[in-house]
Amino acid sequence: MGELRQIAIYGKGGIGKSTTTQNLTAGLCEHGKKVMVVGCDPKADSTRLLLGGLAQKTVLDTIREEGEDISLDRIMKEGFGGTKCVESGGPEPGVGCAGRGIITSINMLENLGAYTDDLDYVFYDVLGDVVCGGFAMPIREGKAKEIYIVASGEMMALYAANNISKGIQRYAKTGGVRLGGIICNSRNVDREMDLLRAFSKELGTKLLYFVPRNNVVQHAEIHKKTVIEYNPGSSQAQEYRNLAQAVIDNKDFVIPTPMTQERLEEILMEYGMMDMADDYRI
Amino acid sequence: MAVNLNNSNVATRENRIGSITGYIGSLSDLASQSECGTLKGCSRCFSQSSTCLSSCALGQLSAIRDVAIIHHGPAGCSVLSANAYYLDKVMAKKRGVTNDTVYVGTDMNENDTIFGSTESLRSIIIEVNRRYSPKAIFVTSSCATGIIGEDIDSVVDDVRDEVNVPIAAVHCEGFKSRIWATGFDIADHAVLSSIVQPPRENVKSNKINFKNFYESARPEIIEMFRQFDLEPVFLYCNSTVEELSHISESAATTCICGTLGNYLGNVLEEKYGVPYVRSINQCGITGFETWLRSIGMATGRSEKIEKYIEEQRAVYMPQIEEVKKELKGLRAVIGMGPGYTFEVSRVLNELGIEVVWALAWHYDKKYENGDVPPSMKYLLDNDIDFEASVADQQNFEVMNILHKYQPDLYLSRHPGSTVWAIKNGTPAVYVADEYMIFGYKHTLEFAYAILNSIRNRSFEQNLAKRVKLPYTDWWYKQDVGTFLEEAK
Repeated sequence: MGELRQIAIYGKGGIGKSTTTQNLTAGLCEHGKKVMVVGCDPKADSTRLLLGGLAQKTVLDTIREEGEDISLDRIMKEGFGGTKCVESGGPEPGVGCAGRGIITSINMLENLGAYTDDLDYVFYDVLGDVVCGGFAMPIREGKAKEIYIVASGEMMALYAANNISKGIQRYAKTGGVRLGGIICNSRNVDREMDLLRAFSKELGTKLLYFVPRNNVVQHAEIHKKTVIEYNPGSSQAQEYRNLAQAVIDNKDFVIPTPMTQERLEEILMEYGMMDMADDYRI
Repeated sequence: MAVNLNNSNVATRENRIGSITGYIGSLSDLASQSECGTLKGCSRCFSQSSTCLSSCALGQLSAIRDVAIIHHGPAGCSVLSANAYYLDKVMAKKRGVTNDTVYVGTDMNENDTIFGSTESLRSIIIEVNRRYSPKAIFVTSSCATGIIGEDIDSVVDDVRDEVNVPIAAVHCEGFKSRIWATGFDIADHAVLSSIVQPPRENVKSNKINFKNFYESARPEIIEMFRQFDLEPVFLYCNSTVEELSHISESAATTCICGTLGNYLGNVLEEKYGVPYVRSINQCGITGFETWLRSIGMATGRSEKIEKYIEEQRAVYMPQIEEVKKELKGLRAVIGMGPGYTFEVSRVLNELGIEVVWALAWHYDKKYENGDVPPSMKYLLDNDIDFEASVADQQNFEVMNILHKYQPDLYLSRHPGSTVWAIKNGTPAVYVADEYMIFGYKHTLEFAYAILNSIRNRSFEQNLAKRVKLPYTDWWYKQDVGTFLEEAK
């Protein structure tokens, strides 16, 4: 067992962070790694595929109902391949402060001794953009040192990724957090790989892995399973194993260099604008 | 000004009337920049002292008799409740009435912050209403509820029928404004939007709304107004909800301090046609007479008022002229809120005392009606100019000024400020009571208070010899505005 690697996964809402994180986790398990996944989203759906459903009671609900004197097993469940699954939870949509919830629940996990010596990886699957200080919690105070941003060739995904990089840059100066790369969860956009490569380069990082689009992911999700569990022989399962290997092997950790809005739009124009884009016929 | 009493939020003074907390220059420059719209507030790279606007808002509202303040926030935000409670009881006792106002904090905890606590708030409102039967309820926000966007408005709307007394959401998050006087406006807005009713038909009132702090001169002002067939309604200390509900019917609104009364006066005028007396205030002779004459014009009582002025002049002017001889040539520095600093500067000038520097804790470049504050206009029209700064009680700047100018006297209205001057060896007058310079009689007393302070300076001199102040010689050699950053 090596040193514990704590990894935060960020990216635009709906880009596939939770799906990618859980499939990546399943891949790491097959590589014999001990992994804990901490869902940092009030929806509490970051561990659904590993647990075979939303069976998890969240940290914050537990604290609210039972107080702070709780044992770790009340909030941590074991999922596929022995992964430890925790959901931080949060308020109902439109009330309270989800960011503060993440701060509270991560502190609680530390207090309860969730970070055991046998762990190789901890993943923080964080809701959407880094909208406030609470959502930056996993990358503050020396928790996650390694960050991967899930993106696609779609414009808004890249806007969000660039914005997230600003948050990383802020905390990199004091906390030692670094960007490990961009993971592309493909949407089958034209020249997607070229665009993501150029974007990653501009950010000072690399495209860590390109996960192709495959319907088996949706099938697995409907069955509440990761692709590796649902269809271990599929090509997509192998893609996730490869992604896991890329994470294991990754040694390139950088302070990102977020770009100006103008520069981002230039890159999008260069790679994203197709000749056919204006070829609009009725 | 555009008043929207249907919205529980009132914009900050900075946004509404362009108020500032940072300026150093001269009075004439400050005023001309205000008039031509070029005045921009500068900031300081640190703040040595300030206060929170919510304490101004809550202090005003909790002084109303028999209401409930429900302060929605962590326990620490309600720390001033003990002060407010004590002060309100004392003020009621002084007047010989009872005040059963309650001040309740909702004691938000970590979970409340994460999940929101509107359900708890709702049950607290219902319980407070059941237990204390207040005449009105003010549900006030805190920084914590402001940050998480707690929907206090919906809770208030939801319980309105159930509590069956006026109820208002009061948005007084402390971080909203650097200018604590914004809290006065927030309190006015809450009273206007929840308690004040439109005037009843065919009600002709001889009442005059008098916005003040602690109504210390109440008996003599009642007596004075009786001679004009006017009846003052003092706001909000010891006000009843019933009284407040009818202030829209009054013959006029006036105030002891423009900073305090500006919002209420303007809204009552704009919404209900109650004339707002916008003169210089009642401090000193010119101030008092101008104010009385403005009331006379607004209420059609000029004749009675002229008679009163004539009688009073005969009694007091000879005495005031006598004491002025002893004050002539004194030099003073003054540090007060803007509602007083430029008014008291005028009085000092009237008494023959030279103002060498005036600090205002903030500055409203215009009032709600778009005019430069009358106190400023008066000084300019009369060619009175001196060095002036705007500083939110930045004591290090006050000390720098006192050290440089070595005035005969320092005057302030805020607790603690004069103590620093005295430790510096500067005689000081604490203009604590809002009526300390009100009218002829108190102007005379004020003049004697100054005289008594400067006649024997041995206390200040001896104290200064034995006290080491924290400021270094380096700082005393710097310009007052060293830490003032250019306006952006």
